[in-house]
Amino acid sequence: MTTADLSPQEVARQALRAGIPLEAERLDLVTATANHIRRVIGTLRALDLDETAPAAVYDAAHLVGEGRNDAAV
Amino acid sequence: MRPYELSLADAAQAIASGELSPVELTDSVLARIEAVEGSLGAFVAVFADAARQAAGQAERDIAAGAHRGPLHGIPMGLKDLIDVQGLPTTASSRVREHHTARRDSTVAARLRDAGAILLGKTHTHEFAYGLTTPQTGNAWAPERVAGGSSGGSAVAVAAGEATFALGTDTGGSIRVPSALNGVLGLKPTYGLVSRRGVTPLSWSLDHVGPITRTARDAELVLAALVGPDPGGPASPYVPPSGRPHRTGGDLTGLRVGVPRNHFFDRVAPEVAKAVRGALADLAGLGAVLVDIDIPMAEYLQATQWGLMVPEATAYHQRTLRSSPELYGPDVRVLLEAGELVPTGDYLRAQRSRTLMRRAWARLFDEVDIIAAPTVTSTAARRDQQTVRWPDGSEESVSDSYVRLSAPANITGLPSLSLPVGLDGAGLPIGMQLIGGPFAEAALLSTGRIYEEARGAAPRLAPVAA
Repeated sequence: MTTADLSPQEVARQALRAGIPLEAERLDLVTATANHIRRVIGTLRALDLDETAPAAVYDAAHLVGEGRNDAAV
Repeated sequence: MRPYELSLADAAQAIASGELSPVELTDSVLARIEAVEGSLGAFVAVFADAARQAAGQAERDIAAGAHRGPLHGIPMGLKDLIDVQGLPTTASSRVREHHTARRDSTVAARLRDAGAILLGKTHTHEFAYGLTTPQTGNAWAPERVAGGSSGGSAVAVAAGEATFALGTDTGGSIRVPSALNGVLGLKPTYGLVSRRGVTPLSWSLDHVGPITRTARDAELVLAALVGPDPGGPASPYVPPSGRPHRTGGDLTGLRVGVPRNHFFDRVAPEVAKAVRGALADLAGLGAVLVDIDIPMAEYLQATQWGLMVPEATAYHQRTLRSSPELYGPDVRVLLEAGELVPTGDYLRAQRSRTLMRRAWARLFDEVDIIAAPTVTSTAARRDQQTVRWPDGSEESVSDSYVRLSAPANITGLPSLSLPVGLDGAGLPIGMQLIGGPFAEAALLSTGRIYEEARGAAPRLAPVAA
């Protein structure tokens, strides 16, 4: 499996749908960066994951009652 | 030796015996900051008056018999992602203008309780999303990168601007600048040190840890930082095993894994040579070197990016929409591009992490620790964008810096970077020791025995004052 590159038009559309309107002069840079990242991560599609469950790290018990703290943006 | 040059352990001993007062030590470190900060830029802010006041209080408390332990009266710096009540946590970003922390992070509170004195907040690559920390110059050569993202903390410790400091590490951000500045950096086991009140980059990869000049100093700081934090994110599932420290002067029988693949690929020859030399030193101390194969090495970068990029974008969701122009251009484009990573890829990265953890756990059936270079090369020039390797390949400086340190973030395993020499240009080289879960004591005692055998006192960076 490989990851097909996104065109600048697709990037503009997806970003807009995500609530990030990209100015025209930023589109090429974001497209190139996004495609580079997607190509790198896309290599994971060759892995045989079979029944492997995700390691999300969180211990659910610690999520209970975890409030917003001062480190929030 | 002037007080700012002392290691934490030596300063603590001098304070305990009454030879040195916290006021003298703090004044000496503040004077050092005054002298070298202009060329280094390690600090976002220095709180000299508050530090002097706290040092005076520490002096009075200690004189009255209320000595809290080795960190009492020791001046330190905190990476500016770490909340301190009443102070801004700028994350070295314009996004955080007008921010004030409402309470202490757990680590700041623990250091305060231990009597440590806050000198100031140190620079990070903006929101820890980068490996260079462009605001800060390398302590050994200010025209070169500090490394990042905890560049300010590592430079401050290396230059004598702080007796120790804290950093954070998502792909190498404690260890990379530590290696590039000739100091020690410990990324503990995931969850061992609380991250409550520490601005995240990537929740599932972030760690907080000490940057010091010696392994003994790191032991002292770590001891003050650990402890259960039931409300904090990712507190450890199990307490540290308390594996006994090696108290003897050698490493007899210690099985040290030496990677055949990945960790010595595309590494600067001088770095590889220095690390191989340090491995020979470990063998000379009785360690047994065992060749090992790193599993799934071809998936390390994909897994790291697949976890970090979407998590970082998720954290910045609101401000990326409300004030994107406040981010630096390099961070902004990464956050925007992160919106375009499919959910399926994020889950694949999490599933890859499951496989990697299992495979790495099996490695520790064969060896006690793994030793390898921390960073592929020494500090790059500040205007340098890429590294060219002898095989003809080219790599961005950031990608090359994170390549060897990220595995310990994916697996959550502890990793200690320690200095093992200088290259021909006089720039520091670091070696990392990676251990099994909660094997911090084994890493630090190995580091201590190595330091003692080398016999070299920790040397500050030769910054022109």
